[in-house]
Amino acid sequence: MKIGRGPATVIGVFAAREEVVSQATLPAARSETLREKELRRKPYGISWGFFVFEGWRRVPRNTSQMTRAAVGLLLGVAFAFSAQVRAQSSPAPGLREVTDDTGRIVKLPQAVRRIVSLAPSSTETVYALGLQDRLVGDTDYCDYPADAAKKHKVGGAINPNMEEIAALKPDVVLVVKSLNRLETVRALEQLGISVYATDPHNVNDVLASMKKLSEVLGTEKPGNALDQKLEERLKIVREKLHGVPPKSVLFVVWTDPLQSVGKKTFIADVLDRAGATSVVESKQDWPQFSLEEAVRLQPEYLVFASSHSETVRNDVEALALKPGWSAMDAVKKRKIAVVSDAINRPGPRIVDAVEELARQLHPEVFAEKN
Amino acid sequence: MQPLTLGKVAVRCGILAVILFVVVVIALKFGAVPVSLYGLGKDLIRVLIGRSSQISSEYGMIIREIRLPRIALGIFVGASLSVAGTSFQALLRNPLADPYVLGVSYGAAVGSILALVIEPHVALRPEIAAVFTPIGGFIGATFTIATVYLLGRYHGDIDSKTLLLSGVIVGSFFSAMILLLITMLPSSSTRGVVYWLMGDLSTPIPPILGWVLRVGFFAGFALIYLTASDLNLLLAGEKEAMHLGVDVKKVRLVVYLSASLLTGLAVSVSGSIGYVGLIVPHLMRMIFGTDYRMLLPAAAFGGAIAVVIADTMARTIAAPSELGVGAVTAMAGAPLFIYLLRRRLA
Repeated sequence: MKIGRGPATVIGVFAAREEVVSQATLPAARSETLREKELRRKPYGISWGFFVFEGWRRVPRNTSQMTRAAVGLLLGVAFAFSAQVRAQSSPAPGLREVTDDTGRIVKLPQAVRRIVSLAPSSTETVYALGLQDRLVGDTDYCDYPADAAKKHKVGGAINPNMEEIAALKPDVVLVVKSLNRLETVRALEQLGISVYATDPHNVNDVLASMKKLSEVLGTEKPGNALDQKLEERLKIVREKLHGVPPKSVLFVVWTDPLQSVGKKTFIADVLDRAGATSVVESKQDWPQFSLEEAVRLQPEYLVFASSHSETVRNDVEALALKPGWSAMDAVKKRKIAVVSDAINRPGPRIVDAVEELARQLHPEVFAEKN
Repeated sequence: MQPLTLGKVAVRCGILAVILFVVVVIALKFGAVPVSLYGLGKDLIRVLIGRSSQISSEYGMIIREIRLPRIALGIFVGASLSVAGTSFQALLRNPLADPYVLGVSYGAAVGSILALVIEPHVALRPEIAAVFTPIGGFIGATFTIATVYLLGRYHGDIDSKTLLLSGVIVGSFFSAMILLLITMLPSSSTRGVVYWLMGDLSTPIPPILGWVLRVGFFAGFALIYLTASDLNLLLAGEKEAMHLGVDVKKVRLVVYLSASLLTGLAVSVSGSIGYVGLIVPHLMRMIFGTDYRMLLPAAAFGGAIAVVIADTMARTIAAPSELGVGAVTAMAGAPLFIYLLRRRLA
């Protein structure tokens, strides 16, 4: 990754350039001006000879008027835009206060009718709660369910367009702490737009956070129903995997450089619930991992997150030819598990990801019961 | 060559101000949310006659609270960078000098990243938390400026070449540090950094910071402008200027510190917006000549115009997504710079 303009390129050039420019930048009649200056110089600061006097003397009134006009215009341009009228809306009686996952106090109207989601997972949650009619805007990356892609787009999750959001006049904007930027939250707050942040760190958090969001949005029932259903499915997986030794896996976020997930992410928890243990022991969320170390640890399975399993299988064929990767047993034996990219989203489909992965890693357990 | 009169400077500045005004109106019109020119004109007149409360249009809030502050920020950032660039070029007598060559941008980036990292660990009042990152950036910029200044001294005096080289080296050290920090730190604290490095005007700054930026700009500009005729003499060479009665040491100190202040302020609120401090002074020099009494204000207007245009493009090209304004200035600036360079050599 290269950031900005490398200063190193400058070194070679500037030495050669200097001569050219000191000539080119010299004004033609400078020597004359210099002499004038020499006569009028004061030790420091603006002398009255700062500007040449001729024009001044000839049309004094005109010039000073012009000066005033110019200064006025300059100041006008400068300060006209600095006068920001900030309409501080006093809390209307219909507002209630809720606390979001990060401990912020959020003011919301009694009935939340217009929701903007700045995270694919929040969008999915809104749909899972059956509140899609209230969703007035989401991000370019909100592609599930298919209908979410048709919602009004407000830009990316990291760089949403403030104007678009403001124009939608949302009652609340949903963000996820691990995805969106703090600057976005502050910018929205400054505009007087309520922002509700979720911050799940494991599967339980994801479920709890969805349930709470349901309450916050004013519909308790669908939240409870969703929560019960998902808990039930997780319980089934847990019971099936009871007593089954976990498989060691390497979750591949990126292959070049090799990037995996740390212990503290909800993905690690998904792996855990699906009967897998990540070979990566890292406190970082998305650690870059040494290929040597991966080869030494010899994970039983490589896990990829993608909505196109065919592409992954082709990629693995290519990886099998690469030095390092080819030394990994999991690559040699093509022991690959592909889960949908739902695993990357702390939303309702996180349970799908657990089931999918568990089925692929422990086919024998799931085959028995079916 | 006609002598430069105050009237001439005023007229030219007036023309530039009118161009800036037109650019601002155009920038106000374009954006993700469509705004009609007629409605905009009506609202603009309402604002000018002091009845901004009467703006009742649907998009009034968007114009007033989002676009206008952002354009104002662009104006001051652009003017600061461009004036700083002009001053550095004069001071170092080097056409490639610009605020970023002296490493200030990278130092400010490191400061901002560290602030982003520290912030969650210290309990801050919200009004302080909001300005925490820019303050980090400003401290980083100041620290870099001081380091480069100390390293750039030669026998107790600033030596242009040593200063420039120190800036380049300190800058590349800090850019390595940025990479290190991005690799080492959890992604949640460095997510904004990439945007920051691309230059970002989309984040509204707290009003207080806006005022600091404005006052800082006018103070820095005034200090530099006081030395304008000394800078003219410096064109002939430092020794020559000294013989002509210029207190070269003092001028260098004043200009270096003021230009650094301008850079630090601009970088801490907008991230790194490259090429503005490099290209705009050159363009202005081609149009208005090298007299710094004319060139400095021209550069201020030119920088403001350039950044407002670049930011309008950043807002609209990929709408509703936004580009970093630094990406736009670099995309336009690099080819333009090469063109200017070839033309000069031809």
